Amino acid sequence: MSKNIIKLEVKNLCKQFGDLLVLDDISFNVNKGEFLCIVGPTGCGKTTFINSITKLYTPTSGEILLDNEIVDPNKHNIAYIFQEESTMDWLTVFQNVEFGLKVKKIPKAEREIKVNEYLEIVGLTEFKDYYPRELSASMLQRVSIARAFVTEPDLLLMDEPYGQLDIELRFKLEDELINLWERTGTTVLFITHNIEEAVYLAENIMILTNKPAKVKSRLPVNLQHPRDIADPEFVEIRNKVTELIRWW
Amino acid sequence: MNKTFWESKWAKPISAFISIFGFLLIWHIGVNSSSLGELMPGPIDVLSRFVGSFSVNIGQYTILGHALWSLSRVAIAYSVASFAGVICGLAMGRYPKFEAAFRPYFEIIRPIPPIAWIPMAILWFGLGELTKYFLIFLAAFSNVTLNAYTGAISVDPELIGAARMLGASDNQIFRTITIPASVPHIFAGMQISLSSSWATVVAAEMVRSSEGIGWMIVSGMEINNMQQILAGIVAIGLIGYGLATFMRFLERKLLVWNERGA
Repeated sequence: MSKNIIKLEVKNLCKQFGDLLVLDDISFNVNKGEFLCIVGPTGCGKTTFINSITKLYTPTSGEILLDNEIVDPNKHNIAYIFQEESTMDWLTVFQNVEFGLKVKKIPKAEREIKVNEYLEIVGLTEFKDYYPRELSASMLQRVSIARAFVTEPDLLLMDEPYGQLDIELRFKLEDELINLWERTGTTVLFITHNIEEAVYLAENIMILTNKPAKVKSRLPVNLQHPRDIADPEFVEIRNKVTELIRWW
Repeated sequence: MNKTFWESKWAKPISAFISIFGFLLIWHIGVNSSSLGELMPGPIDVLSRFVGSFSVNIGQYTILGHALWSLSRVAIAYSVASFAGVICGLAMGRYPKFEAAFRPYFEIIRPIPPIAWIPMAILWFGLGELTKYFLIFLAAFSNVTLNAYTGAISVDPELIGAARMLGASDNQIFRTITIPASVPHIFAGMQISLSSSWATVVAAEMVRSSEGIGWMIVSGMEINNMQQILAGIVAIGLIGYGLATFMRFLERKLLVWNERGA
């Protein structure tokens, strides 16, 4: 595949809030179609980093290029899945998933086909006329996932999307995510503090240091999906990441 | 047995009925067996006057006619105030400069009871309908405005971020996120405002008018007819309760998605 084309290029990114340096000279590339997990100690600035990409924050210095252009959510097609629920409560499941397509003024007939397709993939077809308050937390997170994937984003950012879910649901949604990623070839940047989750999902894992965050190292996970968390190779990689992440 | 009664849907209406019936009974006994009877009529007198006034005119109209007069005043002024208030409130949420310039007025005007404006209102608008509309407008406008504003600024930032990431422009975000997310706040403001509009129309009519529930009370005072006064008070309470129930019904119908409406 076209795996060697650089999709996202982060160059010397720094972010300071007053005197507090949160991101310290971060540089790395993400290839097209890559699934990269970013792990680091809690509070190390992972979310600040992702918010810089989405332009919710302006970086203090450095630049972020997407397809060789300065990143701009109005121009690029970036989808963001948050840690907290971010469904629009006044819209039905169907309308929530449709939102991004509607904003982009895609014709109704086309919208319907796509929304139905992605609702089917995340298993919410039966619930498409429900309102968010009638759904469970894991279903809400699936709505967000369908809403992000349906726009066929150039880049999908996920900020601990499964942090609030119990283990069983997390495994299920993680498998679904891998499935979707393999089907769509989307470039995914997945932030987590859960090492096992990172090793389970990622093609590559990037480890950040404690605040101010620097890139500590980056290592590939050359295992086939679906992965087995009891597999000795899996355990070995997990231990390696754990060792790299310790700052105490 | 006891437990199942409290779980049944009839528990509340039956309790309310017993409680009100008990209150009327105490009132009746009090009036008939003590000197309280010299101060006020008994419940049978008041309620029969209340029921009777549906068919017998008080002044120019039956009680229903007076109620319709009062309600139509509220309907006109309250609608204008709600409409203007929603627009002002959302505009303040959308444009910080507008908010900085105008919000202090609303914060200052809101705590002033509308009836304090009666003398000025009469000077400005005369003794006719316009004065009453003005007072009701004041009773409703600030609350609706400030609630709409609160709704517009308290939209979950995650939602705005999510919409922005999906490519929505500022205007699209305002239209598709801010406004719908504010609706529950707007509704809450409109509920409070409707109650205060209803209270204000009665006060305005008591000062100066020739019809309406407020007039009924004042005219009862002038002719020393306590049954008429109390029948008016009963009508105010029942209509106020009816309006609040109506708003809750509307909220349930219109805000199916919202937990408050569930």
